[in-house]
Amino acid sequence: MGDKANDKKDVWQGTLALMVLKTLQAMGPLHGYGIARRIEQTSGDLLAVNYGTLYPALLKLEQEGYIRSEWGFSDNNRKAKYYKLTRAGRKQLNKEEREWEETTAILARFLAPGEGRS
Amino acid sequence: MRRLRAWLFRLAGQLHKGAADRELTAELESHLKLHIEDNLRAGMNAEQARRQALIKLGGIEQTKESYRDRKGLPMLETLLQDLRFAARMLRKNLGVTAIVVVTLALGVGANTAIFGLVNGLLLQRLPVPAAEEIAALVIKSGDSSLGALGFSYPQFVEFREQTAPICEVFGSATAWRLNFTAERHSDTLTIGGVSSNYFSALGVKPALGRLVLPGEGEHPGEPAILVLSYSFWQRRFGGDPRVIGKQVRVGGKPATIVGVMEKEFRGQFTVFEMDAYAPLSTAFDDSRASNFWNSRDIHMMLVLGRLKPGVTLAQAQSRFDVISRRLAAQYPVTDKDLSVRVMDERLSRPIPYANNAFIVFSGLFLILGALVLLLACTNILNILMARASVRQREMAIRAALGGARYRLIRQMLTETMLTALLGGIAGVTLGAGLNHLASSTHLLDIPVRLGFGFDWRVFAYALAVVVFTAIAAGLSPALRASRADVNTVLHQGGRPDAGGKARHKVRGDLMGAQVAGSLMLLIVAGLFVRSLRAVEHMDIGFDPNQLLNVRLDPSVSNFSETQTKEFYRSLETRVRALPGVESVSLASAVPVAYMLGKQSIYIEGRPVPPGQKAPEVLFNSVDAPYFETLRIRILLGRAFTDADSESSPRVAIVNETMAKHFWPNGSPIGKRFSLTGDAGPFAEVVGVARDGKYRVLAEDPQPYFYVPLTQDFAAQRTLQIRSAMPPDSLAPVVQHEIQALDANDPIEEIQTMKESLGGTLGYFIYRLGASLAAAMGLLGLLLAVVGVYGVVSYAATQRTQELGIRMALGASPRQILFLLLRQGAQLVAAGLLFGLAGAWLLTRVMSHMLVGVSPSDPVTYVSVAALLSSITLLACWIPARRARRVDPMVALRYE
Repeated sequence: MGDKANDKKDVWQGTLALMVLKTLQAMGPLHGYGIARRIEQTSGDLLAVNYGTLYPALLKLEQEGYIRSEWGFSDNNRKAKYYKLTRAGRKQLNKEEREWEETTAILARFLAPGEGRS
Repeated sequence: MRRLRAWLFRLAGQLHKGAADRELTAELESHLKLHIEDNLRAGMNAEQARRQALIKLGGIEQTKESYRDRKGLPMLETLLQDLRFAARMLRKNLGVTAIVVVTLALGVGANTAIFGLVNGLLLQRLPVPAAEEIAALVIKSGDSSLGALGFSYPQFVEFREQTAPICEVFGSATAWRLNFTAERHSDTLTIGGVSSNYFSALGVKPALGRLVLPGEGEHPGEPAILVLSYSFWQRRFGGDPRVIGKQVRVGGKPATIVGVMEKEFRGQFTVFEMDAYAPLSTAFDDSRASNFWNSRDIHMMLVLGRLKPGVTLAQAQSRFDVISRRLAAQYPVTDKDLSVRVMDERLSRPIPYANNAFIVFSGLFLILGALVLLLACTNILNILMARASVRQREMAIRAALGGARYRLIRQMLTETMLTALLGGIAGVTLGAGLNHLASSTHLLDIPVRLGFGFDWRVFAYALAVVVFTAIAAGLSPALRASRADVNTVLHQGGRPDAGGKARHKVRGDLMGAQVAGSLMLLIVAGLFVRSLRAVEHMDIGFDPNQLLNVRLDPSVSNFSETQTKEFYRSLETRVRALPGVESVSLASAVPVAYMLGKQSIYIEGRPVPPGQKAPEVLFNSVDAPYFETLRIRILLGRAFTDADSESSPRVAIVNETMAKHFWPNGSPIGKRFSLTGDAGPFAEVVGVARDGKYRVLAEDPQPYFYVPLTQDFAAQRTLQIRSAMPPDSLAPVVQHEIQALDANDPIEEIQTMKESLGGTLGYFIYRLGASLAAAMGLLGLLLAVVGVYGVVSYAATQRTQELGIRMALGASPRQILFLLLRQGAQLVAAGLLFGLAGAWLLTRVMSHMLVGVSPSDPVTYVSVAALLSSITLLACWIPARRARRVDPMVALRYE
């Protein structure tokens, strides 16, 4: 039943969620389009295909209580839904960042060629 | 936590779809506008800007769809969708749904009813606090083939005292049927005599008043008291709280009602409910009863124990073993080879004498229930298979339109499950109804209760049955339908299920299985019914028709022995003069009922070796007309006469078995034996009577003897009246005569002999077995007939085209009929073969339940098989006949 596809999606969604949280931390309250642009700019082509996948991820974060949304107006006076980090979201971001660093450190050591081994 | 929170939001999201949808649309719109503005700023023209923004987003609808999945719960949503669709399909095919639901309701109903019975009889513990501590104490004497005896009162007391540190031993003495008079109205009650600690050890509480208190009621001569059961209190006194303190007469003797038992506790015996309880001193209060209190040979107590917390059955067992050995050493004559088994109370049901017959009986009926369910399942499977082939087209098209196979299967299973649930609910209701009916009916002299076991176990069982049915009957048609290939289906010109040779084979197998299953059910039913007939026509040694039994105990009136004799003499004279009365006699015991006496006998000239017990033989004290009234033939010698009086030489009449057993060589007439000891006094055998049944109907012939009432005085006697009229119509007149002679109304019970024989010792268990099995058999037959009819008529419709061609090519209607019938007959024959084999295996467990008929009784097997094959062939013949009449032109154009 497409378990493989699901796994991949889970990883992708996990990464995307982290990026969303990080973006909101860096930029402050932001609408969906803004988040998408920002992620696209920083990550290169990760979101290039499809901004639409962002919305379910935003919804999930909101359901989990890491972000909050409210309607507001953009710089050029357009109505848009703004997302912002909650306290729980900030804590979660710290945690995930730490975990991510640990993971990458381990992976880096693991993947580094020939270090102390033959 | 986060997951739960998200899940709750999604659940909520599921419920407010519209608002969320509008909000998302707005959000996406603003997203697009922002993007388009950016694009315009980057120098695209309006159209390009919009197009690019849309492409980047990846489509509005797609986004919405994946958003929606996240918003709600897709699992729940598909389930709801499936359910809605299933409900629509079921409504649309109301006929099919109704048939499936009814079939299933019958199957589930029969199963829940039976399981409820078994649950109540065997699985539920007694409704008392910490019921797991209650153990049954089963006393055995080494060689006893009966399995168990009761405890004698002295043994009971010794065990109670000596095991006190680990276990509280309590018990009740065998129940009595006693005449109960209150507010100038009499009826007959079942009363259990209980030890003083019985209620305190069980931990039951009174609904009203008090129960028997610890320390009360174990010394003869204490004031007589009575505790009513809740249901008797409701029935007889309408729940009036003023019964407490009421003076009533029990068996003619005055007693005071002191309390009412709580509703939940319906007695220690799962099958019988006591109407009332009395302490042992109330039950055994006169001179007759001194044996009960003192003799180690009167085994009347059924004993339970409440183990102290933490004491295991095995620990208790070793303690009881020690005491048994001690008692055996102390009382070598009576307690030799004595042993007590400590067992789970539930394993000793209904009473420890029964040697697990209950478990086998329950097991058999659970198997029969399973067979009925299997038949129901097969029918449902048949219907669903037919539906599946019809819906193959729909499924193929849905698959072609992108429906995943597992979704299609899930959809079909949801439908089956929904139908099964409906059927299950109907079935449980039906089962509960049957159960309620059984528990509220007073079937008998003894308040037998059958239903009462409805608890979570029954519902769990019913649910398991329903899920099993849904999967068993639903999976294979679902798999089949979902496998449909759109190409084939659409190319068959819309004719579903073409050329399914394998499919016909499956349906044929199902039909065979149905015939086999119902044959097994019917053979079991047939055996039970034949056994009942055999029992009812069994030679019981006397003629039970047209007999009225009136059990009397004039000791209430404090008559002397002479007054008692005078009372009976004038009563006999008065009753004999009543119109319609043919003959009247008196006896101290009634066969296959109650008050059976047992005596050690000592044959003259054959002293009992020291250290051994004299043989014990059942006996009855009767008067001269007894043999005439009961129509017991005297084969040799003479019956008693009025000349056999107190002052004449002692005489006795023995039955055939006793004659053969004690005097194997030559006639017993003139031989002598004693009831007191090797030294006499001796009674001379003056006659040999025919063998009969004495204790239970299913017993083997056993020794029995009669002595004249004039030479063996008994105050309590049963007046037996043979009349030309229906015996129960005599009851009021006889009652009147008795009251005229003794104002204290010494009647303990009035019953016709037939009623008395219908009791638990008599026909009851055979009637119960036969009616239950017959009900299951008929249900099975019904299901099989419906099933066979369904399969054959479906096959005939499926083959309409083929039959049309055959007819167009010149086949006669007769040949067509034979073609279809032959197929049916082959399947029926195969089913019969398997069914006979299955029935033979199944009935091996029945040998102890049947009387007068062997479990492999050829008559039953052959006649049931013949009956079933003719009925099923008829069920084949009707649709086959219809198919024969088909018009070839119509058949060819068909579809």
